[in-house]
Amino acid sequence: MTGVEEQSLVLEDIHFAYGPVAALRGVSLTMGSGAIGLLGPNGAGKSTLLRIMLGFLPPHQGRGRVLGYDILTEQTTLRRYVGYMPEDDCLIPGMDAVTFTAFFGELAGMPRAEAMKRAHDVLFYVGLGESRYRLLETYSSGMQQRLKLAQALVHDPRLLFLDEPTSNLDPQGRAEVLDLIVDITSKKDISVLISSHILSDIEYLCSQVVILNKGLVAAQGLLADLRRTRYNLFELKVKGETEGFLRKLQSRGCRPETTEDGLLKVYLPEGLDTMDIIRAAGEEKVQVRQLIKSQTSLEDLFAQTVGVD
Amino acid sequence: MSAVIETRKLSKWYGNVLGLSDVSLRVEPGITGLLGPNGAGKSTFLKLVTGQLKPSIGRVLIDGQAVRNNTALFGRVGFCPEYDAFYERVTGRQFLTAMLRLCGFDPAETTARAEAALDLVELRADQDRPVRSYSRGMRQRLKFAQAVAHDPDIIILDEPLNGLDPLGKRKVIRLIRDYRTEGRTIIVSSHVLPEIEALTKEIILIHQGKILATGDIHKVRDLIDTHPHIVSITCDRPRDLALRFLKEDDVLSVNFGAAPRTVVVETGNRDRFFGRLPGLLVELGISVEEITSPDDNLQAVFDYLVGK
Amino acid sequence: MIRDRGYFHWDGAFVERRLPWWPITRQGLRLAFKMKLFKFFFAGSLLPGVVFLAGVYISERLEDFKSMVRGGRVLFLTINPAFFKTYYTIDFLMMALVVLMLFSGAGLIADDLKHNALQLYFARPIRKRDYFLGKAGVLWFFLLILTLVPGLLFILFKLVFSGSFALLRSYPWLPLSVLAESLVLTVFFSLYTLLLSSLSANRRYVSIMIFGVYIFTDVLFGIFYGLVRSPYVALVSIKANLQQVASFLFGQAPAYAVSWVYSILILAAICVASVLVLNRRIKGVTVVR
Repeated sequence: MTGVEEQSLVLEDIHFAYGPVAALRGVSLTMGSGAIGLLGPNGAGKSTLLRIMLGFLPPHQGRGRVLGYDILTEQTTLRRYVGYMPEDDCLIPGMDAVTFTAFFGELAGMPRAEAMKRAHDVLFYVGLGESRYRLLETYSSGMQQRLKLAQALVHDPRLLFLDEPTSNLDPQGRAEVLDLIVDITSKKDISVLISSHILSDIEYLCSQVVILNKGLVAAQGLLADLRRTRYNLFELKVKGETEGFLRKLQSRGCRPETTEDGLLKVYLPEGLDTMDIIRAAGEEKVQVRQLIKSQTSLEDLFAQTVGVD
Repeated sequence: MSAVIETRKLSKWYGNVLGLSDVSLRVEPGITGLLGPNGAGKSTFLKLVTGQLKPSIGRVLIDGQAVRNNTALFGRVGFCPEYDAFYERVTGRQFLTAMLRLCGFDPAETTARAEAALDLVELRADQDRPVRSYSRGMRQRLKFAQAVAHDPDIIILDEPLNGLDPLGKRKVIRLIRDYRTEGRTIIVSSHVLPEIEALTKEIILIHQGKILATGDIHKVRDLIDTHPHIVSITCDRPRDLALRFLKEDDVLSVNFGAAPRTVVVETGNRDRFFGRLPGLLVELGISVEEITSPDDNLQAVFDYLVGK
Repeated sequence: MIRDRGYFHWDGAFVERRLPWWPITRQGLRLAFKMKLFKFFFAGSLLPGVVFLAGVYISERLEDFKSMVRGGRVLFLTINPAFFKTYYTIDFLMMALVVLMLFSGAGLIADDLKHNALQLYFARPIRKRDYFLGKAGVLWFFLLILTLVPGLLFILFKLVFSGSFALLRSYPWLPLSVLAESLVLTVFFSLYTLLLSSLSANRRYVSIMIFGVYIFTDVLFGIFYGLVRSPYVALVSIKANLQQVASFLFGQAPAYAVSWVYSILILAAICVASVLVLNRRIKGVTVVR
């Protein structure tokens, strides 16, 4: 997963408890560049973990380094290089977007003029260029979301935490924010950690996931590895008179099965390949409109790891 | 058991601000997804259907009767709003019981129904704690419970999956699907399109107060003829395949570069394209790994209609 | 060359500020001055200072203004510690301080609580105390302008106009008193305001509390005094406590027959409580539920 490249995040055996309630019971995590998804049911300890990674909370046990800075002793320094996009909408009444973004850039340690310059640049980047002089109270929820992203980016962090970046956005807004995140993660020198309940977003954005459950890491790794690809099972969408087609598949041992969503599941035994399916379809005048390898979805993976209660 | 919602030339203004304009449609039993950008008129539509707002022009009918001020009909409608509106200090059970009593059930039946609803949403264990102490997911489930406790024929859900973690979403989706099989009429509004796709193929798309499209997603997609259909094929010899495609006049464009060994084709006539495809592949001896239609989903339909 | 349109990095350098909390103060002052009504009140609150400054001038030119002095106004025109004590205890000034606190301070923490801005602050490399210092800085600006600055100006003007150091020879401890009194008023009012601002997320409620608590304690004093007639009742009123301390610092006879030590203890207790509560409130927010 990380190999030789510098690891942006290393956590070892992190424990944290709120009084008698244990929130994290031994979480170990490493992260390289690129995008990693953080998943888990509510109450799994995601927010606590995020706060520890940001240096807000010292863990009761365990060690860690974020971007090379120790989370116990160098908490304030590490925040200079980390950007945080919170879940809740935030603003300061009476400020416009430029002032707001520049203000937080300054607090991150940028000189005033630099912060101002960078604020303009970042606001254009997130798509708020036209509205950057408007008061924040007039912003819609989509604009608020982008503003949060802007203030997380203004000081050019090397590690970005995005907490529910697309919640409460309408479909257009979601697509636009997702595109922004894809663009950011395409730069190889910035690591992004995304916590979200919308699994399709995680699938789209991240190549690795970490699933937390009850204060422990329930699953961790590359998405492609975790989602077991069943090499011999395919999902098809077909159109046309399928009786003959299904009979042919059956006779060759493909055990075709129609699901309630209209999908056709086909198993390929030894000695057969996709061409045999296509040939059979051509012979029976059936259109094959979709052919993909069956893969456990992230949702199934989540349910399996966390345990369907 | 089942009921049909019908609107005729429904319009609603707030002063001079347009909410909804000239909406005439029928919602049949089953699950229908309601989509639209923010401010499109979704909430207005839902409030008109539940009788909370009075139409400026037009009517809303359930099984042929007007909804507005028709208290007899209200008992047949369940509404799960987007925002929380609880009495924070009562317990979950007390809240649900109160809502049921308002529907006119006697105490014995109220208790039975409340318990059944709480069991359904798996809140029995927390029923005697005040709502104030409930987490986001629990509140959402309680809202769902009060929407279905009185066994309505029509269930209106405004962003029911908001704030739930993936497992919670799964549970609610399963619950909604169970209701569909019982023949009820369900309208679900949501921003997260993949979640709507998991629930239903019937959609109503609203934009700027008008209905842009209704019906099965795929049929709607077929009707959008300004955007040719996109097909992506991953195989061992994409360029040979592409060369062959170029000879066909329903193929409008051919692209590479999206992914390795993949050719992406735009076609104006899906039937002809797919009808021809198996024969083509066999003729060229091409081994196919994957065939997909990347824009045959709700997001694409939404984008095309709303016009990005 | 063509500029890349995607995300790009910043190639500047971070700077180590000597006063990491300064941007917070600067923004707070900017936001305060944006309100038109506030500017009006601020100007109004400078009035006592201006009047008293004029008094300093007049006191030197007593003969010229003899025609204006019609007996019994000697106290006003003699520049002695009583003059200073009067300035620091007149109701108008105290009320002006409260009103300024209300305008510039009610939303300082309340707005951050309401609009979830605290998370953003603490995702920055600033410490909790920088946040508080920055917020307090806004209040200190106004408080010092109305306490320390006039006091020092009175002394300075007196020296200039009288052309001698007579004032300082008679009362060498006067500058210290001015400093101490300014500090008492500034520290107390800033902590009082920040405490109330952190108790509610609604800036209106906080405004009402800032004004109301001050008035209420005084009203309560009045009521109890009418019932019990004991000077110890004065300890209930914030205004009375402040006046007691001012009297002590300028060597004047206190208005109420109760020791100033109690007054300062009560004020100090409020300050300490404020610090404790502020600490708790902010901690409560950055730590997740």
